[in-house]
Amino acid sequence: MVMAKVEVGAAPSLNVAERADGRSASQLRPLSLSRGLLTRAHGSATWSQENTTVLAAVYGPKPAAMKKENAERAIIEVVWRAKSGLSGSYEKDAEVVVRRSLEYIILTALHPNTAISVILQVINDDGSLLACAMNAACAALVDAGIPLNGLLSAVSCGVTHDGQVFLDPTKPEEQKCKAYVSFVFPSRRLSAVPELPADVDGEPVEYGILTSVTRGAMEVEEYFSCVENCRAAAAKVSEFSRSSIEQSLKGNRDGC
Amino acid sequence: MATSNGEDGSVEVQLGQTRVLAVVKGEITQPYPDRGNEGSLAIFTEFSPMGDPAFEPGRPSEMAVELGRIIDRGLRESRAVDTESLCILSGRSVWSIRVDIHILDNYGNLVDAANLAALAALLSYRRPECTVGGDDGQQIIVHPPEVREPVGLIIHHLPIAVTFAFFGDGNFQVLDPNLKEEEVMGGRITITINSQGEICAVQKGGGVGVSASEVMRCLRIAAAKAQSMTETLKKAVEIHEIERAQRKIRRHPNLQNQIDTASSVPNPIKKIEVEMEETSEDIEPKQALDTERGIKDLSMSDSSRMKSTETEVAETLTEKPSRAGGRDLFAGGESAWGDDVKLTPLKGSPGTRSTLFPLDSDALVEFDVAARAVLRGGVSSQRMSSKLVSEPLQRQISDQIAAAAVYANQTSPLISEDARPLGPIFPRVGDMDSTEESDAALETKSVSQPEGTPVNFYFSGKKKPKKRGGSGRQD
Repeated sequence: MVMAKVEVGAAPSLNVAERADGRSASQLRPLSLSRGLLTRAHGSATWSQENTTVLAAVYGPKPAAMKKENAERAIIEVVWRAKSGLSGSYEKDAEVVVRRSLEYIILTALHPNTAISVILQVINDDGSLLACAMNAACAALVDAGIPLNGLLSAVSCGVTHDGQVFLDPTKPEEQKCKAYVSFVFPSRRLSAVPELPADVDGEPVEYGILTSVTRGAMEVEEYFSCVENCRAAAAKVSEFSRSSIEQSLKGNRDGC
Repeated sequence: MATSNGEDGSVEVQLGQTRVLAVVKGEITQPYPDRGNEGSLAIFTEFSPMGDPAFEPGRPSEMAVELGRIIDRGLRESRAVDTESLCILSGRSVWSIRVDIHILDNYGNLVDAANLAALAALLSYRRPECTVGGDDGQQIIVHPPEVREPVGLIIHHLPIAVTFAFFGDGNFQVLDPNLKEEEVMGGRITITINSQGEICAVQKGGGVGVSASEVMRCLRIAAAKAQSMTETLKKAVEIHEIERAQRKIRRHPNLQNQIDTASSVPNPIKKIEVEMEETSEDIEPKQALDTERGIKDLSMSDSSRMKSTETEVAETLTEKPSRAGGRDLFAGGESAWGDDVKLTPLKGSPGTRSTLFPLDSDALVEFDVAARAVLRGGVSSQRMSSKLVSEPLQRQISDQIAAAAVYANQTSPLISEDARPLGPIFPRVGDMDSTEESDAALETKSVSQPEGTPVNFYFSGKKKPKKRGGSGRQD
């Protein structure tokens, strides 16, 4: 007797071959980055993945509140503003995730007793929101001139009920798939090389996963498959953001 | 100046360097017990720390509360948004509309920008169509947008907030103060007024004492300003609606065929005319206007236009691309204004009912002088720097224009950059969109340009000069 796998609540299943916007499973949405939009903020950037847009603003280093300041390093404050409605637990959670990721790249020891504030405003949410926000935050930090030891590139991907992995889910795709995960990879010159290591062991630190946030349950193999796909995609994202930043800086300064 | 983010109900307004984002969301809730057949409108203002380093996350500051209250009074208590139409099942289910205002960049005059953003968002918001059905007639069926076209809110009038800052002993006013002016001002007054000249709210809290005549002068200027802002707002909303219709066509190619074979162009125009005539009260002046200006004269009977827009929106807006192609009614044609035109009938547009607020005589004179200078010079700000205009005249013109600019809104980058040889200078639709929307704007720029509406003439003098000091567009 063969038992068919019954998926509870899997009404419309996601067909990776026929995505609503015509993309393939391993195709990202068109990216766009614009920096320096706001006048009051020290740095600002808008990152769009087609319809998902996040505006990030950075203030800092600025004096920190007495009870929060740290005599050895700068503290990082993240504020996540949802598009509409009051801030709830999702926003708090996202703030923590973003903060921990940024703590890795910001050279906080250079500015003790100060605070660096990153404010994220969701302009539109069409899936891959956390990844979009991370990319925006990183670009805003660059725009503010905060010293960093590298950049970040974030990608998100989903897993369908029949185990297929697809990149950059839109909101409807996120709702229909079994699970989705957002990865943040450090993006340094070394790791921007799109070659994947032959084996998982002994991988250099730069290739490591900085942050991984999953929603929903997936198999271990599926997770590793996601990691591989996203790492390749993250190289592209990193390439895009670097070239975009370099292009805009070339106009301003010489050989920076 | 205003950009909608391509989504219904989400609008970002840029007033100079101040940026505000307004988002409208609707949900079905229970009504208040004492107002069983009215929906509700709630406005939430978030002074995000993004806008200003002084804004702290957490409890709203006094400024945030004040701003929220002014907008609330202007929009909700003035009954600008019709709440009775939001009722689904009396006493049981109503639509509850929520407007979230996020301050992205504070460079002064948040009230005006936030008000405009909230208005534009409400105008562009579409709620899903829902019907009452089921066995007991008590079930609410909400139709997804693919099944039934979402429907907009009914908005009776557009209250525009106009803020002045006072300096000195209160005898010197400045319109639309920016951040630095706000830091040093002696007092401020915010007047929420619609284009029919009806005052929805006045807020003057503390600060230097101002004489009643100064307040009256501010009121008059605000009335004039409200009309131009209403025009700007409506144009921006129209652009958004055109884009929306175009997106719909792209999604449903069948619709394109329907439109191509639709009735010839004059019909939709007639339809709007007929509707407006039925509902408007000033029949006579309107007829005179129609011959010159065409239907796009939005300053007349605003509410009727709104209603007709709602019903005609699918048809007429999709007609626009073909309409603008060769329709003289909308292309404006020759300017009816010569060099010696008298500018005294500037007391409100003849088509509106706002004959109550004639412009102040000295403001009038300055408009007059500035506009004449512009006409005489026949140049745009670009050409003024060329050798066509002599040095002293150039300075005089720029001084006069600067004077006129004091009374008017010189912050919005509405100014056309191309020199127009003759006649009044009108804001070009394409100039209002910020760079993010540039592609869409280019597409729609040639589509609808309601030029040739002399009603706007007295604003031309002020719209030309760019704001001093580097904000606004620099090309």
